Amino acid sequence: MTSKPLAADGGSVGLGGEGRNVGGESPEPDPDAVGEEATIHDDDTELERTIGLAGGLAIGVGTMIGAGIFVFPGLAAGNAGPAAALSFAIGGVIALLVALPASELATAMPRSGGGYFFVSRSMGTAYGAVVGLGLWLGLVFASAFYLVGLGHYAAAVFAEVGFALPISPVVPLGLLFGAGLTALSVGGTDNTAKIQNVVVAVLLVILTVFLTYGSLDALGAFGRASVPEAFFSRGVFPAFSTAALVFTSYLGFAQVATVAGDIRSPSRNLPIAMVGSVVVVTVFYVVTVFVATSAFGAERLSTFGETAMVEVAREFLGRPGAVAILLAGLLATFSSANASILSGSRTVYALSRDALLPKKASEINLRYGTPHVALLAAAGPILLLVATGRVEVLAEVASFLHLIMYGLICVAVVVLRRREPPWYEPSYRMPGVPALPAVGAAASFGLVAFMQPASIAVGVAVMTVSYLWYRYYAGSVELRGVV
Amino acid sequence: MHDGPTILVPVRILEGQSLPEGTAELLSNARVLLLGYHVVPEQTAPGQVRMQFETKATNRLDELEALLESAGATVETRLVFTRNGRKTIDRMVYEHDCLAVLDPEAVGDLDDVLVPVRGTIGVDRIARVVAGLFADTDADVTLYHVVEGDESNEDARTLLDGLVGRLEAGGIDRTRIVLTVRHGDDARAAITDDAGSFDVVVMGESDPSLSTLVFGMPAEAVAERFLGPVFVVQRERPPEAEGAE
Repeated sequence: MTSKPLAADGGSVGLGGEGRNVGGESPEPDPDAVGEEATIHDDDTELERTIGLAGGLAIGVGTMIGAGIFVFPGLAAGNAGPAAALSFAIGGVIALLVALPASELATAMPRSGGGYFFVSRSMGTAYGAVVGLGLWLGLVFASAFYLVGLGHYAAAVFAEVGFALPISPVVPLGLLFGAGLTALSVGGTDNTAKIQNVVVAVLLVILTVFLTYGSLDALGAFGRASVPEAFFSRGVFPAFSTAALVFTSYLGFAQVATVAGDIRSPSRNLPIAMVGSVVVVTVFYVVTVFVATSAFGAERLSTFGETAMVEVAREFLGRPGAVAILLAGLLATFSSANASILSGSRTVYALSRDALLPKKASEINLRYGTPHVALLAAAGPILLLVATGRVEVLAEVASFLHLIMYGLICVAVVVLRRREPPWYEPSYRMPGVPALPAVGAAASFGLVAFMQPASIAVGVAVMTVSYLWYRYYAGSVELRGVV
Repeated sequence: MHDGPTILVPVRILEGQSLPEGTAELLSNARVLLLGYHVVPEQTAPGQVRMQFETKATNRLDELEALLESAGATVETRLVFTRNGRKTIDRMVYEHDCLAVLDPEAVGDLDDVLVPVRGTIGVDRIARVVAGLFADTDADVTLYHVVEGDESNEDARTLLDGLVGRLEAGGIDRTRIVLTVRHGDDARAAITDDAGSFDVVVMGESDPSLSTLVFGMPAEAVAERFLGPVFVVQRERPPEAEGAE
């Protein structure tokens, strides 16, 4: 039978592993070939790639936009004043510095697991385990953060319709949504990916209209005086510590890499989706914060807390504007929470494939075809964290755990470029190696230093536990690719 | 022995879908690409399903392969975990140069084959499928055309005669070929109404033109209503079609 060979795209093979974990399981063998449209195992088993460029961008933008626009502007303005716009810009630049090396690595290793896979194959199993388990818990913290944000927006809906409640409904609503989303991902068979694309498109339209109007107003086009204020009203240091806080708004681009195994023509689509989504959301974030601080001044804005954008919209466009942003906020935080929960379960799969977690952890039920063990195992800690209701700590710990991975991704590119192992053939090569990735690594690790001590303590504890787990459970597992 | 046409037979392998009665006999002269596929929900990585169910699916696929081979077919198998079954089938057709895709249904005695023909496009491929599959059987082949619009009976005749010539060259005796021309506005309804008295349908995949966007693919509509197996003859895939959305 005539078969056309799959177009080669430089995807490397031979990146499996060896050794056994405590449960006697070994890493899964690596595929035979990695193609543009499918990955081939054992000669005649294929994994179809089904997510196109639009889908990849929607994952990136959809995961990120919820936090930066709908949760942080009030908090950021309270911490940094009008310089909050600069904080978002700093975050965007750092994200871009990481997105470039992540793109290079992703085109060389377009597999599920993203950053974990890159680090484990280029720097060894110990780094991989710390990053992988840290990434999973980072996503648990991120999911909890988005759910609390969602709770704030749902509570604001109650307030908007004039429904007074004796206690703050934020945490109960967040818990309710958390449980609901988990149930939906275990038992839901609807194709929510298509809905996700529509949600992201609707969000971008609402925001573009709103921000265009807001920018014109802030620049005085409608003859109203905006509130004049010193840019660094709180000093320069808060601009950086706020950047550390709001960096959670930029965690989504790495989620594109977690589903790298499903992206079609990964050599082209992965870099565009990652870099593109970072650029898009950075622009939206900076403009949003500029508009928000111009409308009210940072001082008053910060009094509105998590749902400050609703008040900004009310100021510009009256009640319809407030309702539109309320709706957009619900959609955005919901889609961010959903995306993070699903990415978390992907990470568990990547870890159990490499025998760093029991195979049982990524088990699928044939009835729904969903990884119920991983989803339910994440639900417990997520709900526990939602119950704390501590938005800022949740966000910072999520950022901390991601930033460690980002820094190591930058280091990984430098390491691989120096050693040039035979399997490393990325189809996209980032410019400015080693200077740019070195700056990216320094910035990623540096940002951690600006966080609250509590967040740093939790982050370090998570990393320590991850390392101890690796030593205990999978100390003899050796993941290949290390040179 | 002539060159058997390559037929893609997709089976949802983990959902217990099997090859209905008579399928192996129907394909005894074909080269079969047996595609076992499983549609994975988006919460799940395709590789995750592979890790857990590859052995089960492969065993099942091997059974079906043995069944087809025992009836005489040449079989190659593929197992694909996908989130989009249609995309996978399409890619298989392209990568393996499949002439037709079989929508398998039970078939008893193989006496009458219905071949609806819409126009000259793809007639050559239809002829290769029909001759390749049925030249060695005693089945009658009915070439069927619905005259629409300002098309004349002469045009219809020329169209069908061209196909007759190709089938004869492919080894089907003229006495086994029946020509039917109908008049009407709704070709799709006419085909589905008349298909009931036949055992197998072989028809061309429609071009994704405006009419199919509005009314749906006729081949699919027929496959849905017709109770027997349907071979959907694929249009020629241009080489650059790969990677297109």
